[in-house]
Amino acid sequence: MSGRVLVVDDEVEMQRALKTGLSYHDFDVRAVGSGEEALREAAAWRPDVILLDLGLPGMDGFATLRALRPATRAAVIVVSVMPGERDKVRALDLGADDYVVKPFGTEELVARIRAVLRRQADVSSGEPVVRSGELEIDLARRSVTVNGRSVHLTPTEYELLRYLALHAGKPVTHSTLLRQVWGEYAVGDKYNTRYVVAQIRKKLGDNPANPRYIVNEPGVGYRLESG
Amino acid sequence: MTRRLAPYSVAIAGALLITGAIALISSRTSVPGLSAFYLLLVLWLGARWGRGPAVAGSVAAFLLFDYFFVPPIGTFTVSGPREFLELVVLLAVALVTSQLAASLRRTQAAAEGLATESRALYELATAALRSPEVTIALSLLRERATRLESVTRFDLVAMDFGQVTQLAGGELSQDEVKQAAWSHENRRPIGIAVTEGAVKLVRTAPVSSAPAFLPLANGVVVIGIDAEHPDPADLRMLAALIGLAALLLDRRRAGLEAERARGFEASDRLKAAILSSLSHELKSPIAALRAGLTALVAPQARLQPEQRDLLLDLDRQADRLDHLVGDMLTLSRLEAGVELEKEPHRFADLIGTAMRQLRSDLKGHDVAIDIADDLPPVEVDEVQVGRVLTNLLQNALEWAPTSGGIAIGGAAKDGHLEAWVENDGPAIAPADLERVFDTFWTRRARGSGLGLAISKRVVEAHGGTIRAENRRRGPRFTFTLPLARVTAKR
Repeated sequence: MSGRVLVVDDEVEMQRALKTGLSYHDFDVRAVGSGEEALREAAAWRPDVILLDLGLPGMDGFATLRALRPATRAAVIVVSVMPGERDKVRALDLGADDYVVKPFGTEELVARIRAVLRRQADVSSGEPVVRSGELEIDLARRSVTVNGRSVHLTPTEYELLRYLALHAGKPVTHSTLLRQVWGEYAVGDKYNTRYVVAQIRKKLGDNPANPRYIVNEPGVGYRLESG
Repeated sequence: MTRRLAPYSVAIAGALLITGAIALISSRTSVPGLSAFYLLLVLWLGARWGRGPAVAGSVAAFLLFDYFFVPPIGTFTVSGPREFLELVVLLAVALVTSQLAASLRRTQAAAEGLATESRALYELATAALRSPEVTIALSLLRERATRLESVTRFDLVAMDFGQVTQLAGGELSQDEVKQAAWSHENRRPIGIAVTEGAVKLVRTAPVSSAPAFLPLANGVVVIGIDAEHPDPADLRMLAALIGLAALLLDRRRAGLEAERARGFEASDRLKAAILSSLSHELKSPIAALRAGLTALVAPQARLQPEQRDLLLDLDRQADRLDHLVGDMLTLSRLEAGVELEKEPHRFADLIGTAMRQLRSDLKGHDVAIDIADDLPPVEVDEVQVGRVLTNLLQNALEWAPTSGGIAIGGAAKDGHLEAWVENDGPAIAPADLERVFDTFWTRRARGSGLGLAISKRVVEAHGGTIRAENRRRGPRFTFTLPLARVTAKR
């Protein structure tokens, strides 16, 4: 078994399709139709990944996410139909690990699930080196290399890259980056993060029009490509 | 009658009293210049009652003094220049003091009148401005105005967005409504002239029963002035009331505008809510379809290759349906007036995001990117402009020859960004160069005809323009976006 996946969706057809599709990819799947059931099942069954639809009847997706986060170590992938960028940011800020826009193909979903599971494994193993293509970030030695060539970053640039590396593969919101790099009371100017990311890309030899390492999550923030 | 004569009686009585007093004093001791006591009386009379009683008092004083104290005593004979001078001085004092006193009293009366007027106006203004209902406040004004003797009529109509509304006073005749509308539209009063703001009102037409029309910012006041020589105090009051009315009409208009804005906002919110529930209703079945169809494609489902191909075909159709629904919802959102979240962005980043989204489609295509390193950031909504770029790139992909050339780039020009997307595909017919941006217009049998229409709306919402043209090697789409006015900082 690749892992336990809890599907939270109020549509029976969707539940059935996901149960079948994910089980073909060796996942152990259970499905529930409400936030309350999701909380119960998360505590009792201890899934590795929770696929949480935001449009739930009764206790809505955000409320469920808020209640789930302190109660479970499972990765949460938020699923939603045409979410606005604000919804994505809100979900990420509430502790979601990723989001997937409905409709999606099974392959794409499986890839996302595997990515969050891999990230969980990396975090628990405490691996001090994060890799993204030819980019290597050694968190213990605070060194950054591309293709073995050492890259010199300013402290601000390193802090931003380090935070993205710690969450490699996960979209990180602008507000989180601002808070993490500039401190709790940073004035919310997204152009600051954009400017620093542009500087980092330049030093890493990354083309902004075709980035390999740090990719934009439009309206949300940035993500460091993992692996 | 007795009231008017009373001051004269007091004058004579006073003169008699002083004569008695002087007689009493001079019977005991000889004091020169005792006649000065009369001056006090005359002064007092002039200040108290004006010229008449003062003159009466001075004449009486002179006669009495002459009769009782000027030799020959017991006669009214004026024997020498000294007595004559005394009389003249008494009379002159009487005239001068009474004149002074009279003008003092007039000024005081005027000041008192003004004070009463402004107090009344102040009370009216506070009552009017405090009243939550502007129409009630306006009727208060009207009631005060028609209480003025010279004013026979004071009606107010509001001009709202080209519509006439009766606010205070009687119904206007059709002809009067027309005149009021004309006066408001042309900003010209009829039958009345206002000088120095609203301070002085002058009838221009000969006094008649025809009302005068005075345009205000948001309405017209219809005034009837019925007097050959209207009281200036009345006109002053009228001017003040008109000023107050203008203020109240402004307040009313501000309220109406706020209400209208709230109405628009509510209808925008309603549209957004409908669109969001519609997108959920339309997309949920497609989501179940695609999840189900793609589930069965896995090898573990053990389907025959032709069955898998059939499922993949169906999934592509479902995906197409999804994009079509998405485009339609996006277009309706744009038409409902989407709020742009404009921020400075590097154009290269925006292209990078679009290229990433299309990376599987772009495989095998050679995309040339041409952006100057020092291109200033653009001030745009990242997500919306991302749609423009993906739409134009998708369009280029559909027409560019396999593995053939697509070029995308941007440069600063005349204070904005001019960007382009080119492909080496077939030219667009000259007649269609404008029509490609029309909703549902498409060159392909299977296209939705929405991508370019959406792009045009997004670009225009940013204050830019978009156009299609043919180069020698193929079509080119050019659009403009605003540049940001920021200086990069750390």
